[in-house]
Amino acid sequence: MSGEIELRNLTKRFDQTVAVDAINLKIPHGSYCCLLGPSGCGKTTILRMIAGHETPTEGDVWIGGESVVGLAPAGRGTAMMFQNYALFPHLSVLDNVAFNLKMRGVRKAERHRRARELLAQVRLDRFADRMPSQLSGGQQQRVALSRALITKPRVLLLDEPLSALDEFLRLQMRGELRRMQKELGITFVHVTHTQLEAIAVADLVVVMDQGRIEQAGSAREIYTLPVSAYVARFMGGQNVLAGKVASVAGGFATLVGDTGERFSSPLSGQTVAEGDMLHCCVRRDRVKLERDRRPPGAPPERTNAVVGAVHAIEYQGSYVKVTIDVPGREPFVANVADGRFFADPVDIGDPVLAWWAPEDVHLLTGGLGRSVRVTTFRQAGDSHG
Amino acid sequence: MHRPGSGRRPWTFYALAAFFGLYVLFLYGPMSAIFILSFQGPTGGLTFPMNGVSLHWFGALFGQQRTGDFAGSFTRSILLAVIVLSITVAASVMAGLAFRRRFLGSTLVFYMAIFSLIIPGLLLGLGVGLMFQFLGIKPAWYSSALGAQLTWTLPFGLLIMFAVFSRFNPFYEEAARDLGAGYGQTLWNVVLPILLPGIIAVALFGFTLSYDEFPRTLIPIGSRNTLPLEIWAMTTNVTSPALYALGTLTTAVSFVVIAVALTSIALIQRRRTRRGTRTDAGD
Repeated sequence: MSGEIELRNLTKRFDQTVAVDAINLKIPHGSYCCLLGPSGCGKTTILRMIAGHETPTEGDVWIGGESVVGLAPAGRGTAMMFQNYALFPHLSVLDNVAFNLKMRGVRKAERHRRARELLAQVRLDRFADRMPSQLSGGQQQRVALSRALITKPRVLLLDEPLSALDEFLRLQMRGELRRMQKELGITFVHVTHTQLEAIAVADLVVVMDQGRIEQAGSAREIYTLPVSAYVARFMGGQNVLAGKVASVAGGFATLVGDTGERFSSPLSGQTVAEGDMLHCCVRRDRVKLERDRRPPGAPPERTNAVVGAVHAIEYQGSYVKVTIDVPGREPFVANVADGRFFADPVDIGDPVLAWWAPEDVHLLTGGLGRSVRVTTFRQAGDSHG
Repeated sequence: MHRPGSGRRPWTFYALAAFFGLYVLFLYGPMSAIFILSFQGPTGGLTFPMNGVSLHWFGALFGQQRTGDFAGSFTRSILLAVIVLSITVAASVMAGLAFRRRFLGSTLVFYMAIFSLIIPGLLLGLGVGLMFQFLGIKPAWYSSALGAQLTWTLPFGLLIMFAVFSRFNPFYEEAARDLGAGYGQTLWNVVLPILLPGIIAVALFGFTLSYDEFPRTLIPIGSRNTLPLEIWAMTTNVTSPALYALGTLTTAVSFVVIAVALTSIALIQRRRTRRGTRTDAGD
């Protein structure tokens, strides 16, 4: 049975609020898909509609070539892992895992044998007689995974599976989830609000905002070629710059910012017209930093540069994250390789010039057009570069 | 002034401790007087001093009928309490399940249930008695008195179930449905076992509220008394410490019921956290 999922014009309204707004998405069989977005963006509602715990207001959910709307959760070939695992507190680990088989009338000896097999796969067989409350968060998660997998699903739905774990376990478990998905060869749909988690595990990253899909693509695409300022800001790792298109020539567009800086960016097949207000972005790790020895307040003479004073310096191991206050702009971040930084370290308050090559600029022409909204979420890059 | 860390308690501690001591004395003093006097010697009277110590008056309860219909009223009270308990548990659990969603008239039903809690019990019993008379039905402990008691226990049970359900995570039900359980299977295998301690609490309330109910039961009881009414009747015509023996005995029954309920709740909780400690710890 194929685990290909197709969402067609999927919409969910709660009273007057639109939680999911006419979504179209195809998730290939056997792929690892992450639905990524800030809380309230509708990602969990989509997951619950695929699982059958929520009924779409409009639109359709197809799994393996047939519509599953109206089918009971267990009749869809999906299994869900709940955010806090929802392990039954009155049942032992073994009975939790065997629950589905019990509901299907499998005899006790047989269902316990099969539950033990699954527990052995996640190295929890010796905890079979424990109660869930006696297990650590990571162990509970593995029990929840076994309990879901005993149904032999073609689609596994994971609702914030790692959010209840500490940092160390989170990194370990996300690797384990990815490995399991490859081994089982089934479709995983994983809901998360953590950018680095999504790009670490997923084949297909779906960035959402306010009930809509902002961008869907491979992790690398999403990270390096965001379609909109929203995606670029949300994923982190990019500096977003705004400007008005002054000229289009030779495959490059030149943008002029409010304070007179000029940014040149390759068009990469995108069509822009002179006079358009646009955003472009440049990766933090492609930005070069040098001391600005000119009189304070002078705008940069060169194209693709900004000037400002160093606002914060954070050592990150392999690189140093330097945040620069650029007057009239959102803070600009340069991730400087540690060797280069320490060759001539700048200090907080120092005037600096940050510049970059035109090839490292990417125009943001897509998305849903809410390009000038203020970021209301924590940017991934702020804590991890 | 009390200085922190000086090791001496402030005077307020002793004042409040004395107040608490008085409270305890007030609470248990009268009851202990009755317990002690129920062991009065065969020649003793209704008041102190004790004239020897014996179980004579406990024996008298089961003996000749001059002390009233103790055995009959006791049996009726227990039976009635069990019936009230069963109906209260069944109705409260179902109502608790229903009230998780808003339905047509849910607010009205809720306020009606609460209303019957605040009507004076005696008036309510009078109303039930009058209605039975009007309908030409003979009042009895298993009909009119049962109904009158339920007006008291059902709203209580409902309120407890509200509290219990407010802490119940609906994800358990979704998980069960996700794992192939039907509605009935979910209820039986997941919802009820998880709610069991709360259900036992409702049962305990149903039982004890019925077992010592007086004002609502007084008028619609019919010709055969429950235990509290029998004791009330006995205070007017029995002039021996048998009355105290009866008080001690019925209190003991209440304690046993409460102990059974609390122990079973504790056992369930312990089973959920301690079971399986025979396997080694750690990962």
